[in-house]
Amino acid sequence: MMRAPIPPLPPRVSQYGIDPAYVKTRVSELPGMTSVPLTELFPDLPPVIFPGEEGVAAIRKAAREALARVDMAMIKPEHSVNILASHHGFTLLGGEPYAEMLKTLKDVIEERTGCRNVRLRAGVGLRFRETEEYIKRYGLDEYFGGKAAGVAPVDQGIAIETEIGTLYGIRKVYDADWIVHAHNSDVREVHFHRQVDRAVKPFGMSYARIETRSTYHQNLGPRAANFTARAIFDSPFVQGKFAFASFLTVAPHGIIGVDADNDLYALNERVTLTGCRYYGKMMTLFGEIDECIAALDFPCPVVYVFAAGVIYANFAGANTDLYDLDLPLPAYTWYTEAFYGKGGRPLLDEIPPLNPAIRMCVHNYAWVGYPSAFFSEHIPTVVVGREQADLFNRDPQNLTYMKHAVTAESTTAAMDFAYRVTGTRKVLVFDGAMGGINVSEPLAELLLQKAPAVSERVEDRLLPKWLRQRGIRL
Amino acid sequence: MKVVNLLAVVDPEQCRGCRTCERICPVLAVRVESKKAVVDPARCRGCNNCEQRCPDHAITMVEREEPLWVGVDWNEGDYAAIAELCLKARLNPEQLVCYCTATRAEEVAAAVLQGARSPEEVSLRTGARTGCKVECIQPVLRLLEAAGVRPQPPKDGWQWYGRTVTAWEIPAAVKAKYESRGFYFDEDIKLLDRVVNASLQGRREG
Repeated sequence: MMRAPIPPLPPRVSQYGIDPAYVKTRVSELPGMTSVPLTELFPDLPPVIFPGEEGVAAIRKAAREALARVDMAMIKPEHSVNILASHHGFTLLGGEPYAEMLKTLKDVIEERTGCRNVRLRAGVGLRFRETEEYIKRYGLDEYFGGKAAGVAPVDQGIAIETEIGTLYGIRKVYDADWIVHAHNSDVREVHFHRQVDRAVKPFGMSYARIETRSTYHQNLGPRAANFTARAIFDSPFVQGKFAFASFLTVAPHGIIGVDADNDLYALNERVTLTGCRYYGKMMTLFGEIDECIAALDFPCPVVYVFAAGVIYANFAGANTDLYDLDLPLPAYTWYTEAFYGKGGRPLLDEIPPLNPAIRMCVHNYAWVGYPSAFFSEHIPTVVVGREQADLFNRDPQNLTYMKHAVTAESTTAAMDFAYRVTGTRKVLVFDGAMGGINVSEPLAELLLQKAPAVSERVEDRLLPKWLRQRGIRL
Repeated sequence: MKVVNLLAVVDPEQCRGCRTCERICPVLAVRVESKKAVVDPARCRGCNNCEQRCPDHAITMVEREEPLWVGVDWNEGDYAAIAELCLKARLNPEQLVCYCTATRAEEVAAAVLQGARSPEEVSLRTGARTGCKVECIQPVLRLLEAAGVRPQPPKDGWQWYGRTVTAWEIPAAVKAKYESRGFYFDEDIKLLDRVVNASLQGRREG
């Protein structure tokens, strides 16, 4: 008995996406679609606190409990505190859980320390006004008394002396006596960070200037890249300001708690374990898919649309083990993309191709603001609607995306085309469905059949190896 | 080669002359004169940076009536010199340095050999660094440095601050300290070296 699809998050009004009025049909609404609860695939997934009956009140309660164990004695009433946030948290489960954690952080810091100068600084990826949009959407500007600001990597910088020389942060991130690192453990860009120091990454990314981010993506190599984050975090400058960290802990099916610690590396070890175990199983399972149509249908850029916590960029690399550090280059990461020569082929034979199981991509709804032409160049892509194609043609990061893609008038027409051309009936929908995945019935059957053996393989063989590679003991 | 199909337009009623746009424009196309931002259409590469950071929302991006094409023809120069410069910067001539505009190291090298003396000049000529504006500053600085050019950041600007460490420059003590934590420094150097020395696919044509 197949279940009804899970209604996906509605389209959002944003300068980075088309007007929601143009998103007339969601892929999950089409005939033949079903959903699979993730706990049916992996019964050992831990219980979630969100989504749940209590709503975001559960987040506030968990945050208060976690923060009760944190030392805030260093913060004096006359001090200033910057709570540091990042855009991605606002894309998780509608964004309210992350916003609620940020609000709770402010309340608890004020209650515990008497400090009234608590600000929010929200970093971004490559869409420089994205967190400005979220600050308005979730009422954070008002909640923080007008002291909430989006910050971008091109904003005024500050030099930070590190073990590997001078790196650069965003000045406004560090313009307080203390900083509080408010993040989440969703793995997201495993192709970049490889689950190495995941909890530290924003110090080299959303809190960092362009020089640092370019160091990460161009200077150090695919498995050394994330050291930029550790170098900055360990610097005397940042250590002199760091108070504590608070994370939404996330699994592929929802929020499983809030973790807070004065020791970021202790927190990092915990999120590394959950990241490798729960997301590792999901990615390994997706690697078992032999053929499919990938349907993008979520309000964020092409690479970041997700299904069961796995982003499209990682599904495009699911033909290799992204967690295995013995493999230097995933099928997609910026280093990999850089290493394609003018003939359109990798410069090294060892570079794996993009996941050949993806027979076609139906781009029903996804945003601009991330260079995505590599995907349309190497994966047959159908974009729904002229408006969406026009939006990509106007985005300086995607001027050649449509050079390689075709358009369809409607979602139905795009899917019919994909079915006819690929011959497969397996569809994986990247629409961020909460608690499960929306798929076509043949793919649901395949995933349910493969999941038990995948779970066993990860627990017995892969997880011990992944953790050993990261210096973490079970 | 990049198509420039947008142009920044300033609303003088909204502009308060804060100079943010001037400080972040990667090609120095915006100047504040008499407390108002002024865009040079011939220089603007349509990157959206000013529009995205203007605190007063005084800048909009409009479609150009006639798109511009920017790029440097590496066939005009000595390709051996271009390749040599790339190798000195530890980049394969064909590797991408700008993901948004698909600009390869050889094109930036050609721009430098043809006289570009700063990241701003490289961006103006090639279009590199006018997509996301974030990820490609380091290879541009590495190529300039390999050519013996030591550019200074624009005065009072936030365009860029400096070249940073590369894989080959990580101190041995740092590598030893962190090698058990999942950082594969030496293995990545070997990988990068193989890329640097990999055979070219495209010869000299574009």
